[in-house]
Amino acid sequence: MIYSVFLWRKGFRQDNRVNYFLLLLACAFHTTAMIKRGFSLQRCPVNNLYEATLFIAWTIVAAYLLIGAWARLRFLGAFASPVLFVMGVFALMPALDPPHGTRPEFVNGWASLHASLILLSFGAFGLGSVAALMYLSQEHDLKFHKLRAILSRLPPIQRLEKVTSGLVTAGLVLLTAGLSVYPLLPRPKNPPHAGGDPIIIWSCFVWLVYLLLLIMRWRGQGGRRFAWGTLGSFTFILLTFWGIFLLSPSHNS
Amino acid sequence: MSILVIGLSHHSAPVTVRERFAFAEARIPATLQLLRDSGLASEGVILSTCNRVELYAVTSLPAKEAFPALKQFLVNCHDYRDPLTDELYLLVEPQSVEHLFKVACGLDSMVLGETEILGQLKQAYDLALQHRHSGARLNKAFQKAFNVAKHIRTETNIQRGSVSVGSVAVELAEKIFTTLNDRQVMVIGAGDTSEKTARALLSRGAHSIIVSNRSHDRAVELAAALGGRAVHFEDWAREFSKIDIVISSTSAPHYILDRVKLGPLMKLRRNRPLLLIDIAVPRDIDPEVNFLENVYLYNIDDLQAIADDYLKQRQEEISRCEQIIREKTRALLSPGPASFHSNRPAFGHE
Repeated sequence: MIYSVFLWRKGFRQDNRVNYFLLLLACAFHTTAMIKRGFSLQRCPVNNLYEATLFIAWTIVAAYLLIGAWARLRFLGAFASPVLFVMGVFALMPALDPPHGTRPEFVNGWASLHASLILLSFGAFGLGSVAALMYLSQEHDLKFHKLRAILSRLPPIQRLEKVTSGLVTAGLVLLTAGLSVYPLLPRPKNPPHAGGDPIIIWSCFVWLVYLLLLIMRWRGQGGRRFAWGTLGSFTFILLTFWGIFLLSPSHNS
Repeated sequence: MSILVIGLSHHSAPVTVRERFAFAEARIPATLQLLRDSGLASEGVILSTCNRVELYAVTSLPAKEAFPALKQFLVNCHDYRDPLTDELYLLVEPQSVEHLFKVACGLDSMVLGETEILGQLKQAYDLALQHRHSGARLNKAFQKAFNVAKHIRTETNIQRGSVSVGSVAVELAEKIFTTLNDRQVMVIGAGDTSEKTARALLSRGAHSIIVSNRSHDRAVELAAALGGRAVHFEDWAREFSKIDIVISSTSAPHYILDRVKLGPLMKLRRNRPLLLIDIAVPRDIDPEVNFLENVYLYNIDDLQAIADDYLKQRQEEISRCEQIIREKTRALLSPGPASFHSNRPAFGHE
């Protein structure tokens, strides 16, 4: 994260090998920790919000390490590092990792599928926000005639916009699929009314926000507004998901 | 046996002297054969461009004997009778190898960091190689020079950026659009700089050019030269929905494009990015349009400032490049075979 700050100041001119290897090292530790936790639980370690957040972070860093093998795209680590850092801090919030009981929190296949799809959608939204951040950085430099707009290794803004749009679309599809599985999940003993569960209202709101963003983009209102929308939406998810999840009776019964 | 360089360049000799020493490509193999037959050198490569003529030679003669003989050889080759003062420079190892590396990297070029010289150097080496005038030492030195040039290009900013207005415009376009292949360019006002800029965009794959000028005949003429089509000056706004890049250089005393006019046109274009290059003085495009979303406006001063920054940045990179070159030269000469090792002092300029 700290090294990324230097890269931002330098203007993403180099391959950022150091950053890549730092993230590779971090990923190796992260993978080891996940494997050990998985063995101790005897199942995939995505059983609570703490593990889910770390799984998203792991997905992002793994995707980056794969993409970063291509030297021209290695600079992406400078954008991924701050996102991963924020997610790491988020995961350490109190009460996200309660002691495991005799059974995991996701007890059947539908629950696992629901959680995985939702988490993957958040991963896609996260990567989309990274691309949006790159777009905003490059767009600002081009607007204000900064030399670093040309010198940086960032891709053209039109491509960044396309990538952001693609990731948001993928995220929305995954979120839709994840939410569609919800009715098939086992009900708690005293299920709250669907309208009374904050996480359902929150999920519908998030789904609607991303849908509106995409409609805006398809209607030709792309560019800066779309990038800010993508970044703002993911920030909203990061800032509110933790609280909403804890407030949800269906996810904490 | 060591590598020596004798030659002249734009740093040391005016064009009137350089042109007298220039070698036609067809003549080079025979000249190298003559050099080797004379016993002055066992290997040789001749680099002859518009900015330099250099002879890279491997010789077993002591430098003090080799240089006057090589100089006389060059003078005889060209039947040059005028007196020479500081025009010819003479270098021995390690300076000769360092010089070769600098030439390959464009550090010794008139336009600092230019890459054309690397191609010319490769051609000169290939010619010598084909005719078996280069051997183990020059092969190794030239191959290393090409590697060093590649290393310098990737590790430093010496070759980054363009130092002309037209090339800067192309680079800007490449930072905005995913590809230039399907981009439509409009030239408003058929000036010389706008033509050069349009040509630079075409050379990078721009799809087509539309030319509009107050004198329609001139527009037709330029459109024909650029392989595009001409439209009447009153009609250029009608074509705007298809346009991605505008190069404007009319002599109009007022803005021909302002925010009020461009706003509705951007809606027609569904807000696709638009690059406006205003190289007219007085300016053709109101600077206010830059506040519109997806519009990127650059005037002649903006482009020139970027070109100047590039040049300044290249100059700042020189010491870094020289450091790399010194290290690479040391690595080539020190641990290698004894044949590459030489403690002879540099002669410097004659």
